Amino acid sequence: MRLQLADGAKLVKISTSRSLIALSTTAMALPGIASADAPPTQHTVSYKISNYKEDDLSRREAPFGDLDRYDIDVHQFQLVSPVGRNMSLQVDANYESLSGASPWFTSTGLDGQPVVNLSGASGIRDRRSEISVGSRYYLSNGSLGGNLGYSEEDDYRAIYFGLNGERSFNNDLSTVSLGFSYSSDDIFPTDAQVFNRVKKEDKQSSSIFLSFSQVINPLSSFQSAVSITEQSGFLSDPYKLRDIRPEDKTQFAWSNSYRHFFIAADAAWHLNYRYYHDDFGISSHTTDMSWHQNFADSFQVIPSLRYYSQSAADFFTNVDNFLNPVSEYQSSDYRLSAFGALSGGISFVADLGEWTATLTTERYMANEKYSAYKVTQASTALVKYYRVSLGFAYSF
Amino acid sequence: MSIIRVLGLLSLCACLLSSCTEVRAWERGYLARDEMAWEADPLESALNDHIFFSKEASSGGNSAAGGGCGCN
Repeated sequence: MRLQLADGAKLVKISTSRSLIALSTTAMALPGIASADAPPTQHTVSYKISNYKEDDLSRREAPFGDLDRYDIDVHQFQLVSPVGRNMSLQVDANYESLSGASPWFTSTGLDGQPVVNLSGASGIRDRRSEISVGSRYYLSNGSLGGNLGYSEEDDYRAIYFGLNGERSFNNDLSTVSLGFSYSSDDIFPTDAQVFNRVKKEDKQSSSIFLSFSQVINPLSSFQSAVSITEQSGFLSDPYKLRDIRPEDKTQFAWSNSYRHFFIAADAAWHLNYRYYHDDFGISSHTTDMSWHQNFADSFQVIPSLRYYSQSAADFFTNVDNFLNPVSEYQSSDYRLSAFGALSGGISFVADLGEWTATLTTERYMANEKYSAYKVTQASTALVKYYRVSLGFAYSF
Repeated sequence: MSIIRVLGLLSLCACLLSSCTEVRAWERGYLARDEMAWEADPLESALNDHIFFSKEASSGGNSAAGGGCGCN
């Protein structure tokens, strides 16, 4: 049904009888309004392989040991199938293999600046496998869905589920979605005995979200959503020499998305903004945009830009203080520092009938100088990475 | 984030919504195009969410959280 309406410019030229068909189907299949307000009519199998490679550290940042950071290969698989007239099935499977070194602790270098000491001369090797199965039931003006997932690593296991529903109203111009998810995670660090790490810990996460989507005019739509996540349990990093965090965290996020189609350019513009705050004391702003430029009916180029900035956690320190009592919260994790990050990428999409091929490359650079927040303690070892992905999708 | 900023953003949202026009079903062709979807490439979105979740402190927004991982 969606294919009939894929070219908006052609829609106005179709005959009256076809218009009636289009009228009834368009209202049911508006990805710009709701994430999934009509069951799929085809089976679609998708696969994407990606390589993620972090830049090596400099000898100034890490005076000793290995300078190599994470190099990760990611395989993603997805199957979306119709089940009967009103249901769909979705299966997602992911596999990651990683190697490289991770920050172990921080100290002061000879020049008085913080330096990082990486974990182990031989680095880390790990694998992650994940599978998630979900289903969605479609009603006349909404849908209900759920999924169940399992993720396993050498030192981590998560079991999770999610439930969500959405309802359209206002002549299908407005949609409200509501969802809940829960995850139960177990942590069992490797070499716990050798490095005096915790042997087994757990944590739980509960999350709810509420979103509102609205069609503004025939060319643009807007979505606003809030989510609240509660985490409890072991939230520290067991691989760091000194990392003590609170055992509860509440996260709040408010995201906004805008889509606009430019007829003359035959392109769609995506603009997203998110505000985030948690009770570790971290706030952040994220904004990204992308331009989906069509060429003829079978080729698309999508350049994208993203800016992110966060403040530091209340207990972040850029140099570990081992004289502090263990009852005092402390972490030198660079992800809890104040920094900014710029990233940009480009995707090339070829539509080959039943096949779609996508090639994406992306560059990400984090730096305290990019921060929109005040930086009182700059972290060392902020990440820069390249990513290349190649994906295929087949519909039948 | 100050209350003034929150009010400013809410006002912006209100302005956007107040500018909404009645869009007839036959006028929704462009909105129905794949590139106008909130997530035009679900695998790409999932991968990016996973990377940013593991390299930045922030997560969440337009969906409920999934399972955790050792990456964060």
